Amino acid sequence: MKRFSIGGLILCFLGLLLLFSPAGAAEKPILVGFPMFLTGGGALFGQPAKVGAEMYVEEVNKKGGVLGRPIKLLVRDCKGTPDEATRVARELIAKENVQFLVGGLTAAQGLALSEVAKTEKIIYIAPISKTTAMTEPGKLHPYVFRAAANTNTEGRSAAVFMAKHPWKKVYTIGPDYEYGQMVTKAFVEWIKKIKPDVEIVGQGWPKLGEADYTPFITAALAKKPDAAFFSLWGGDFVNFSKQAKPYGFYEKVKVVSAGEAGSPETAIALKDDLPLGITTNAYDLFYYPDTPEHKAYVEKLKAYTKQEYPPSWAITGYIAMQFLVEAIKKANSTDTMKVIKALEGLTIDTPIGKQTMRAKDHQANRGQFWGTTAKVPEYPFPILRPVEYIPADNLMD
Amino acid sequence: MGPFGKTIIPLTMLKREKFIIILTALLALLPLSQSRFYIFLGTDILIMGLFAMSLNLLLGYTGLVSFGHAAYFGIGAYTCALLMKKAGIIFPLAFIGAMVAGVLGALIIGFFCVRLTKIYFAMLTLAFSQIVWAIVFKWNSLTGGDTGLIGIDFPAYLDSSVRFYYFTLVVVAVSLGLLQRIVNSPFGRILTTIRENPERTEFIGVNVKLYQLIAFMISGLFAAISGALFGIFNHSLFPDLLYWPQSAEVLIMSLLGGIYSFFGPLVGATIILYMRMLVTSYTQYWPFIMGTILAFLLFFFPGGIVGFLREKKVFKWPK
Amino acid sequence: MPDPSFLLIQSLSGLTYAMFLFLIASGLSLIFGILRVLNFAHGSFYMLGAYLTYQFVSYFVNNPTGFWIAVLFSSIAIALLGGLIERLFLSRLYIREELNQLLFTYALVLILGDLAKIVWGTGQLSIPRPQILKGAVKIMDQYFPEYNIFIICLGFGIAFFFWIILNRTRWGRIIRAAALDREMLNALGVNVTKLFTVVFIIGSWLAGLGGALVAPIAAIVPGMDVEIIINVFIVVVIGGLGSFWGTLLGALVLGQVISFGILILPRLAIVFIYILMTIVLITRPWGLLGKPLSR
Repeated sequence: MKRFSIGGLILCFLGLLLLFSPAGAAEKPILVGFPMFLTGGGALFGQPAKVGAEMYVEEVNKKGGVLGRPIKLLVRDCKGTPDEATRVARELIAKENVQFLVGGLTAAQGLALSEVAKTEKIIYIAPISKTTAMTEPGKLHPYVFRAAANTNTEGRSAAVFMAKHPWKKVYTIGPDYEYGQMVTKAFVEWIKKIKPDVEIVGQGWPKLGEADYTPFITAALAKKPDAAFFSLWGGDFVNFSKQAKPYGFYEKVKVVSAGEAGSPETAIALKDDLPLGITTNAYDLFYYPDTPEHKAYVEKLKAYTKQEYPPSWAITGYIAMQFLVEAIKKANSTDTMKVIKALEGLTIDTPIGKQTMRAKDHQANRGQFWGTTAKVPEYPFPILRPVEYIPADNLMD
Repeated sequence: MGPFGKTIIPLTMLKREKFIIILTALLALLPLSQSRFYIFLGTDILIMGLFAMSLNLLLGYTGLVSFGHAAYFGIGAYTCALLMKKAGIIFPLAFIGAMVAGVLGALIIGFFCVRLTKIYFAMLTLAFSQIVWAIVFKWNSLTGGDTGLIGIDFPAYLDSSVRFYYFTLVVVAVSLGLLQRIVNSPFGRILTTIRENPERTEFIGVNVKLYQLIAFMISGLFAAISGALFGIFNHSLFPDLLYWPQSAEVLIMSLLGGIYSFFGPLVGATIILYMRMLVTSYTQYWPFIMGTILAFLLFFFPGGIVGFLREKKVFKWPK
Repeated sequence: MPDPSFLLIQSLSGLTYAMFLFLIASGLSLIFGILRVLNFAHGSFYMLGAYLTYQFVSYFVNNPTGFWIAVLFSSIAIALLGGLIERLFLSRLYIREELNQLLFTYALVLILGDLAKIVWGTGQLSIPRPQILKGAVKIMDQYFPEYNIFIICLGFGIAFFFWIILNRTRWGRIIRAAALDREMLNALGVNVTKLFTVVFIIGSWLAGLGGALVAPIAAIVPGMDVEIIINVFIVVVIGGLGSFWGTLLGALVLGQVISFGILILPRLAIVFIYILMTIVLITRPWGLLGKPLSR
């Protein structure tokens, strides 16, 4: 009787299989990998971001594509972890042969994707990730670009608003991860600089995606602050607000919130539970500004999403793809080094005005819309009124 | 004569070593395919395969169900990466450091775990692994916490995917060879005896807990090796790889391949990774598929794929 | 010395969370005590209970008692689901080693988790609090939601109810006997197979109920199954696998540790609970109130 290790046989067989599998072939469309946070608490913002990118790509392809070639967006769900974003990105690069990467939502994902871009030598444009760590000296490398605002711009804008009021005791609540930490740090440092008599009476650090905010709500109320700086976003902000309502939180504490709580998406999700009178921001608003380019964009978005009140986060995907496509056009090539050169210092016309990608740190001078939530007769949910665009140029380093 | 003493080398060992050599030779040809992707997949499979094999020393050979094996993988990964990045230590030393950390971790954790049995053993391994996860997750300044430890570069003379692939191949092949020897030695045989009936083995004078602990440590060693390789391969590490579903996944790999076969876990790892790669390009519901496969296995193929094929084969084989 | 009203409120928050943990953990503990199966899918039952409640509430939108009907329906639905799973699948694995049963429940976690995603999507869902419990009660000079008070009372009520059943009824005696020695029970003529199914149904019902009741105050989101199960494990380990009062004690302890942990050691609370679990397992593996397994 012969003696064989069956396991060994199988392995040899599998080894042969791997060996004779075909290698990937290059194709005509320009392939852009788009990992995005499409599930769970991030879906509120991640899904529209994807939609915005897809809408732009469709627009471009209808006009004949770029350099005569269509763009193909390969979307993958990278969930909320940098781990998954890394895995998905590497697969997109190694298996699908994408030439460019656009995506990631959380700050941690931005950092992780930046790392992948660096080792694989592929251009990565971050449409949403805000942490300044991505573009600071030491971490910055030629292949990473950010179309989003950054935590300094956001935190400092919030500090500017906070300083306009006579509040002295301030509490901060932010998700305990890169973004929450960085934007809160920016806020605290800036407010101490522009209004030194403000006292930070306490800080709450729930984890990202926290299910139960009650202990944080009660801990904050116990310190009796005049005001609070929030950096909870998306589903977290929605949750917190719902849970905080019976405590009368927003009546007792004046809130200035980063994290785009002013987005129509959040307002629609919360409806009557959206706290009124809080100062917060958004990347885009379908009702403001009234410029012709913006109105045209909003009409297109309405038709594309078939929603009467189209989402604000679509613009993040849209603008990031705009930068990429315009850069390829300017470079007249998809060669990575040429596109990098084209991106540096590039100014484009976006639906919200001109945006420039700074050459010195690969960041766009992206500002945001800040305003106060109020009920209005025109819409069935609260909007930001009054509202203004705060440019980033004076607030970035 | 000690537990690793030399006696007549059984026929199985020779056959298995032949397979390891043949397989290594075959896989050495992989880079010829010029596919970045297959080199990437191949490295991944080798690393996870070693990880699964290390678990199986405990699971299949000693009969200990560890639900926290991701801990040693993670300890190895973070130790190697941190030594290289933060302490500037060269790779060979960092690699050894990872191995030492893995063994130490297994020693400490194993010491407490082997005093318990069955479900309590499993829960304690889970609890310890969660502690390691929580420490890595929260110790932001050291490990980068949730944001991860990124920017782990290839070591100096292994600075390409192909070179690193060969390095991994060699390391894994040597590890398999060693594991193979251990499993076939008198020490290994005692482990299987312990698996079959711990009480009786105790009666014949074997210090069962000591043997279990040693098995734990060896298992931790190889898991740490695979972890160290993983960190460099990925160029980044995140605490997620220490979270308990990772331990569950490697258990599933072993089970799929067959825990009572030497190469089983490696087969399982290959299939799971390959399938995950295929499935995730079409759908996001990979966990559903993996769960169904697992359920299927448990009901119809308790011996795993290798076990199933064994029963169907004409040839006879030894365990 | 911190404000006493704040301490009270904080401990009430901890108590609320403890009640949810208790509901789910008691089901898990019951199933483990009788069937010797550690049901990983218990968190999935909790999650499905929440999702189903969302679903039923959306059918009864204009009905003020809609929420309560939804809770009833969804918890019963989960109980039935549990019964089906036990009858059709789990029972076939009893003759195998425990690892198989454990891994099957994990397979269920994967399958049920994705099923929820397929049916309800991947975003976050929520439902409002029921009309009659929308407000807050003033305790000293702080506010505490009425709904949470209700949960605390209900939790103790259910604990009491089960205690009565376990200690004062025939079924209760049979269940307690089964936890000690099932072969003997079988020999005495009790239909152990049927008993197992009944116990699994009750356990699942408790988990489903927990999920249904948490729906108005937490996010209904994929991943809530994995998140809750690890805390439930900690509860049953601390309290004692298979011990009823142990589960209650464990839940109360964990609830307070989490509630105050985030204040005292904000970044380290998480490490602390696992260390607690480990210490108990090392020094008293059968938990604070459990008994060493006879098998």
